[in-house]
Amino acid sequence: MTDAEDRALLERIAKRDRLAFETFFGAHGTDVYRFVRDQVRDDGLAEELTSDVMVEVWRGAGRFAGRSRVRTWVFGIAHHKAIDALRRTRVRTIPLDELADQPSAAAGPETEALQAADRRQLEAALASLSAEHRAVLELTYVGGFSQKEIAEIVGCPAATVKTRAFYAKGRLRDALGKAELPR
Amino acid sequence: MKHDLAELLPFYLNGTLEAADRARVEAELATCPECSAELGDLRALAENLRARAASMQQPQMLLASTFAQLTPEPTLATRLRTAWWSAPARYATAAVLVASVSAGAVAAWQFREAADRDARFGQSNAVAYVTRSSAPHAAADELARNMPAGKSAPRTVGAAASIAQSHRLARTATLSLIVRDAEASRTRAADVTAALGGVVTALTDEGSVSPGDVHEVHLTIEVAAARLDDALDRLAQLGAVQRREVDAEDLDASLVDQDARLRNLRREEGALRELMDKRGSVDEILTVEQKLSDVRGGIEELDAQYQHDLHRVATSTITLTLTEDHARAAPPRPGPTARIDGAWQSGVRALADTVVALLSLLAWSVAFSPVLLGAAGLAYLAKRSLGRLRPTSS
Repeated sequence: MTDAEDRALLERIAKRDRLAFETFFGAHGTDVYRFVRDQVRDDGLAEELTSDVMVEVWRGAGRFAGRSRVRTWVFGIAHHKAIDALRRTRVRTIPLDELADQPSAAAGPETEALQAADRRQLEAALASLSAEHRAVLELTYVGGFSQKEIAEIVGCPAATVKTRAFYAKGRLRDALGKAELPR
Repeated sequence: MKHDLAELLPFYLNGTLEAADRARVEAELATCPECSAELGDLRALAENLRARAASMQQPQMLLASTFAQLTPEPTLATRLRTAWWSAPARYATAAVLVASVSAGAVAAWQFREAADRDARFGQSNAVAYVTRSSAPHAAADELARNMPAGKSAPRTVGAAASIAQSHRLARTATLSLIVRDAEASRTRAADVTAALGGVVTALTDEGSVSPGDVHEVHLTIEVAAARLDDALDRLAQLGAVQRREVDAEDLDASLVDQDARLRNLRREEGALRELMDKRGSVDEILTVEQKLSDVRGGIEELDAQYQHDLHRVATSTITLTLTEDHARAAPPRPGPTARIDGAWQSGVRALADTVVALLSLLAWSVAFSPVLLGAAGLAYLAKRSLGRLRPTSS
């Protein structure tokens, strides 16, 4: 969905158009859920937070200033909610060896069985990173946000984003315990 | 590779680097094999993270629970409270008495109406919730896959789902609508489909070339089986319904049969593999191998059919036809009950607005009463002194 389409939906949401809200939810709900879930690492809490983010969109649609892309705005809200929740619940980083025997959260259908071993490793490695590092990895490689946009979302200087992305990748590689990332 | 350039690589990879930085990175990449290796590494990381992301889906019922949290429109009581307490009249105790008596009467009435409406709304929400929670596409798929044949659905799933699951029906629907604007309705239909977590799998738009032609759009839509009725209801709102049909094929017997045959074949496969492990003559091995290959082929064929049937149970197909016709697409006139209800509601709203306006006016006049009284007093005094002056001057 393009930013122009997002903006059009947001305008309709500001006029209390529930269908527009559903469409918006359909387009961004999963991304927001995944992003906050990666931060808080708790399915139930992630659902709650996603709901909160979307309610905030519903309430604040009319106040969206349009200075950034709609997605950047939504992810900014999501990041704030996740950080608040982390402060409240103090979700800890799980050491790698504890994760070794845990089932993968991303256990996919049978067709992905071959990749399951790699996926489990990746899951464990991600769990050992800090929430900030996971956020920057997700926003850069999955969300496709620019350095400036990530800075806006996570509320830090653009230079910090660059450094964080660099070290996050380094940490992930260390955690995977390989010289190279799984290909 | 220079450290500052290495830091730019992730953003070079996701295509968000500004032109100057991009040029710097590209120049470096052209000459430095180490940098290209690093980029390859990052690309692999990105692919892995994206594949992981693609396998994570938000729970389907999240939308329903979010909807339940959306702020309802302010009630009359809220509007009264706001109008009343924000006005300067908060200081006028006398008016409070009048206001509370009238507002009390109206609010009590409004409360009853609101309670009625809430009950209605709550009910419809509950229905939507059950439909949605029993409908998740992936979950239904998963459930169907994991559920051994002949067993009933787990208790946690809604009653509707358990009936559908125990019967395992493949439902398809046909919906023909006359619409005012085929193009707009097509977009709207796609919106509705997306909102319900479905997909448009085929689309034919027979646009009108000459004025006499009929503009017709055919869409094939797939939605989670339990959302079929919901989808049909919503799509039907796009125009005047010409035809609405739902067909159901009971696949239960066939699925039970397929499942049993699959199990037998898999057992046979296991036995043959054990035989293979025991060493025998070349002839024996070849015979077993041939047999194993036949069994394997049978399993694959049957499994494909089985999965296909499960998919047909989990998802329903809607064939939607939108025919553009300005004259016949007039929206249906609301029925007499709806019209009376509408008139009643607007009457109530008008009454409420009048009460709010009157109370606000009262509040303002009470607040400004010292000024008004002062002005009246002055006028009176002026009149009296004028009256006194007149006889002396005459």
